[in-house]
Amino acid sequence: MKTLYVDGSGFMHRLSARVKLALLAAASLALFLIQSPSVLGVGAIATGLLYASLRIGWRQSWLRLRVLFVTIAAVALFTLVFNSPVEAVSVFFRLSALALLASAVTATTTTGDFITEVTFAATPLEKLGLVKAADIGLSIGLVLRFIPEILLRHQAIRDAHIARGLRPKALSIIVPLIILTLKNADEIASAIDARAIRAQK
Amino acid sequence: MPTRDLVLAALFAAIIIVLGLVPPVMLGFIPVPITAQSLGVMLAGVVLGAKRGTIAVLLVLVLAAIGLPVLSGGRGGLAVFMAPTTGYLIGWVFAAMVTGYLSQIMVGRDQAGLVQGVNFFIAALMGGVIVLYGIGITYLALITGMGFVKAFLGSLAFIPGDVLKAVIAALAGRAVMAGYPLLPQRA
Repeated sequence: MKTLYVDGSGFMHRLSARVKLALLAAASLALFLIQSPSVLGVGAIATGLLYASLRIGWRQSWLRLRVLFVTIAAVALFTLVFNSPVEAVSVFFRLSALALLASAVTATTTTGDFITEVTFAATPLEKLGLVKAADIGLSIGLVLRFIPEILLRHQAIRDAHIARGLRPKALSIIVPLIILTLKNADEIASAIDARAIRAQK
Repeated sequence: MPTRDLVLAALFAAIIIVLGLVPPVMLGFIPVPITAQSLGVMLAGVVLGAKRGTIAVLLVLVLAAIGLPVLSGGRGGLAVFMAPTTGYLIGWVFAAMVTGYLSQIMVGRDQAGLVQGVNFFIAALMGGVIVLYGIGITYLALITGMGFVKAFLGSLAFIPGDVLKAVIAALAGRAVMAGYPLLPQRA
């Protein structure tokens, strides 16, 4: 599966993941505390310029952000109709700035860096005994490893329907998909335990 | 946590992601395609129960957060967590938890098929519709300053589709319980 990271060497790429996430959190808080439409407008333009500096391109950006912007536009329209134009503009600028800033962080941080941060963030939970930080990386790897296999299985089940002259229906595809996939769990768990992956510290 | 439980949760997370990648299926009698990913969340509850179902959903969200396009429509990255609809993603976690918990306490292997189906439907409805929309609408109202009434009205159109998904989840839960029961049983 292709990640949303975009290779590059700008200043955002060189910032550490932790700094970027902290800045994102601070900026989000600021954006929600600011009420003035003009300041929010400046913020939206600033984040827009930041995002543009990554040179992701119009088409790729549209593919990434279209659902989000449709939602933002819908909310802004709703606010325009039910509240006031000033509030609608504020809502639009605020949500757009957030979307652009978050996308910029995602595009400039590698998956590996993110996983390191998630594992670090989970260490307090580990002290509480709720989760083992190493398990997080293992689970992420497991999910990614099995997505293609399950996709193929889904296609095979669809083909089996068509071969029998049946139209693929939700229930008759989902049930075999779930059962066949989960039946592998024991083998996979044995393979993991045999390699003592979870026993390593 | 036993390795098997971890693997089950991870496999189900992959199933939820695949349900977002494949083209929407038809229901057979209704000519409207339904996007299956929120169905996957209810399924996680009815098949795996509260703990593993919740972990499966959390894994999907973590994968989305670290920049993988795992949500339906190829969405991913931190931007989806800064959107007006983020409440529905947060709601997924509690939906799986509530659906799983209710499934565990209400459904038994030796119940009649119809009874299992009805109980699974109640579990899926409580979690996947009531709790999910409760959280989604609250978040939408607070983040956009819309107020609850307008947020509720705006979300109303999607509820019937999700009630239908609860029916499918119930039927699937019953079938999976008959074929490969995994739900932890509570007496």
